[in-house]
Amino acid sequence: MMAIATAVGLSAHSGARNEWVVDCPASELAPRLRRLVEELTLVDLFATTAKGSRPRLTAVLDAPGDPAWLVVHCDLPEAAFPSLSAVSHAASWYERDILEMHKVMPQGHPAPYPLRQGKSGEPGPKRAGGAAGAGDDSGQRPKQRPAVTGQGVFELPLGPVRSGPQESQGFSFFSGGEDIVVTDITLGFKFRSVERIAEGRAPADVILLAERIAASSCFANALAFSRAVERVIGAEVTPSEQFTRTLLAELERAYNHLGVIGRLAEATGLQVAAAQFSLMRERALRASGRLTGHRYLRGALRIGGTEVVPPEGDRVWLRSEVEAWRSQALRLRHLLEGTSTFVDRLDTTAYLDPGYAAEHNLVGPVGRASGIDSDLRRDHPYGAYSAVEFVVPLLSLGDAKARYTVHVMELEQTLGVLLQLLDRWPHAQPPAPLPKLRSGSALGWAEAPGGATVHLVTLDEGGRVARWRARPPAVVNWHPFAHACASGNNLTDFPVIEASFGLASAEFDR
Amino acid sequence: MSRWILRGLRSGIRTTRFPSPTPPYEEGASSTVRLQWQRLSAPDALAAAQMCPSGAIQAQGTEVEGELTYDAGRCIMCGRCARHLPQVFLPVKDGRVAVRQRSSLVTRVGWSAANRPLPLELGRAAEEVRQRAVRIFRHSLHIRHVDAGSCNGCESELQMLTGPYADLHRLGIFFTPTPRHADVLLVTGVVTVNMERPLMETYAAMPEPKLVIAAGVCAVSGGSFAGGPVTRGPVDRLLPVDVHIPGCPPTPQAMLHGLLLAMNRAEDRPGPEPEEVADGA
Repeated sequence: MMAIATAVGLSAHSGARNEWVVDCPASELAPRLRRLVEELTLVDLFATTAKGSRPRLTAVLDAPGDPAWLVVHCDLPEAAFPSLSAVSHAASWYERDILEMHKVMPQGHPAPYPLRQGKSGEPGPKRAGGAAGAGDDSGQRPKQRPAVTGQGVFELPLGPVRSGPQESQGFSFFSGGEDIVVTDITLGFKFRSVERIAEGRAPADVILLAERIAASSCFANALAFSRAVERVIGAEVTPSEQFTRTLLAELERAYNHLGVIGRLAEATGLQVAAAQFSLMRERALRASGRLTGHRYLRGALRIGGTEVVPPEGDRVWLRSEVEAWRSQALRLRHLLEGTSTFVDRLDTTAYLDPGYAAEHNLVGPVGRASGIDSDLRRDHPYGAYSAVEFVVPLLSLGDAKARYTVHVMELEQTLGVLLQLLDRWPHAQPPAPLPKLRSGSALGWAEAPGGATVHLVTLDEGGRVARWRARPPAVVNWHPFAHACASGNNLTDFPVIEASFGLASAEFDR
Repeated sequence: MSRWILRGLRSGIRTTRFPSPTPPYEEGASSTVRLQWQRLSAPDALAAAQMCPSGAIQAQGTEVEGELTYDAGRCIMCGRCARHLPQVFLPVKDGRVAVRQRSSLVTRVGWSAANRPLPLELGRAAEEVRQRAVRIFRHSLHIRHVDAGSCNGCESELQMLTGPYADLHRLGIFFTPTPRHADVLLVTGVVTVNMERPLMETYAAMPEPKLVIAAGVCAVSGGSFAGGPVTRGPVDRLLPVDVHIPGCPPTPQAMLHGLLLAMNRAEDRPGPEPEEVADGA
């Protein structure tokens, strides 16, 4: 990582452990950052603005096989920067987000349309204030995405209020009757500005906000946030608390994988199968409730450890539960894969080719079903993951069937990890006193059920959160959704497509 | 297909008997926190208000004399008060937590050096309950759900309602895709600026008579996002709310209780015991 930065002509200094930080002069941003984005994997790109100060662009980069991260900061002299979208498709949505929320123009962006829907069709909500020097940019950028036209093409809108108890989100299907020609996603309906609400608060309270980014990645986001704070202050977590964190993170993966598979069964009309997975999911949620007092593991984490460590009685009980889930999951998998109405609906549906997935740096089961071999638990180990064995399922077929298979294989791996953790549980040690909170900045990360979640946290002198950027997996994985919808699918395939991606709107609209 | 039917039959009946009081509440997690006001002391009250991250517990006054307010409608169930002051704040598994009036979620207790803690307001349902719940909903209820800006926790629990454990169909309750067929608007999440219009249009499209349920603390009070820069606030700022369901998210039983309350088939959340200290649920 260091070598690449030097080769590009930037001198990196070390931040927290396994983290290199580079300050890039604005005049050299275009050639240097473009080269880094070409050589490395772009994990996150965002701007920070404050009233009266210059906007700052930050990129987080990762290299395969290197446990270190690279964070590039650049103070921009004006509210604009050269777009990276020409070299990396992954940068496209980040740059549109930067333009929309901070009025910082990615110069040369091929399609700088608003990402979010605002009230009455205007572009989405803005950050109050905006960058210094950001004037009225209405002349610079288009307000609306281009219309889709053609003989017999009509638009079928869906949402934001959906048919069942689902999240608010808008979709527009352009179709000539059956085939989906183009899909347009409208995000931003539920944008709550979580990161901004956190500013000025104590990290212990921001953990609770991180849990409320999305219930589907509740524990993973809280874990990533608290690990970032721990890396700033140098806190150590005792082995039994590391095991508890890993156990709860895997429990969260288990009930989310069960949810995705259950929704797939429902989307293909298999009511009994959906009910069976719902039963299993409820059991996993109740187990979470028994261990932590909360069905979605909220309030279980604290900076420097966990609020609860399951006593031996609970661990013995959980072990027998997980054994039961494992044999039940195997039986149901066998039944599902022997049901032709299930397999036929998934086969070749919503194909996402590995090339596209690689260009967009997709994460999680969506990426792993299209040949992206990444998993933070293995690539950037944390918690107790080095104490257990697991494999990261990898397929390259890229259709809904492949995504289902990755989910079902990951569920089996997760249950295996839970058993290993329970068998190798360390003796409890008294927690070390927490170091005093101080100023600094560090990355924190965790593998959420939907993929990598990466947080960059900056604390001020008083130890309060000055800036917090969360990048949950759905921020990346919503991008290919529209593309996958339109690749030869019918309107009736949509429930299967949506279920197979298993994306949370709340993670994007945080 | 027959193998699925056999598989389903082999699972037996797993459905909870809620709202029947037996068997005990088996969900494992707690649905709310009950204030054992009789055991409240001035230092505990001031400490609890300090540690509460959501503003659900607020205290005014000094060691000598003061007043504590616990608002279950703002409580995000982080568990801090229950961990540090278990003698006063008791997590309860009882799913009957919904109320008809927002004020019923609030408990106020006063203290002074000379006297025992004094209940000022015990969060019981007020006498003049607004009788908008209409008799015709007693048998069957169709729900139109709107996510006005949630974290998807409430949606996750609503999806569990149609599963075999809660099985809300046995109670005559159904989700409906169209507001035209809906009797009740169930809102989750704090109302964001961008969801205000879809929410109001959905409400307007529903035929009279209609009810509104605010599910989860975000919908009841704004929860963690109260006062955020892009939120309009709790649902009752925009619509007349008939039933408030606290919880973050409400457990499936709490959701069921709120729905039954809207149908006039259940009673309000039991308030704190007026005299004796409960042993817990």
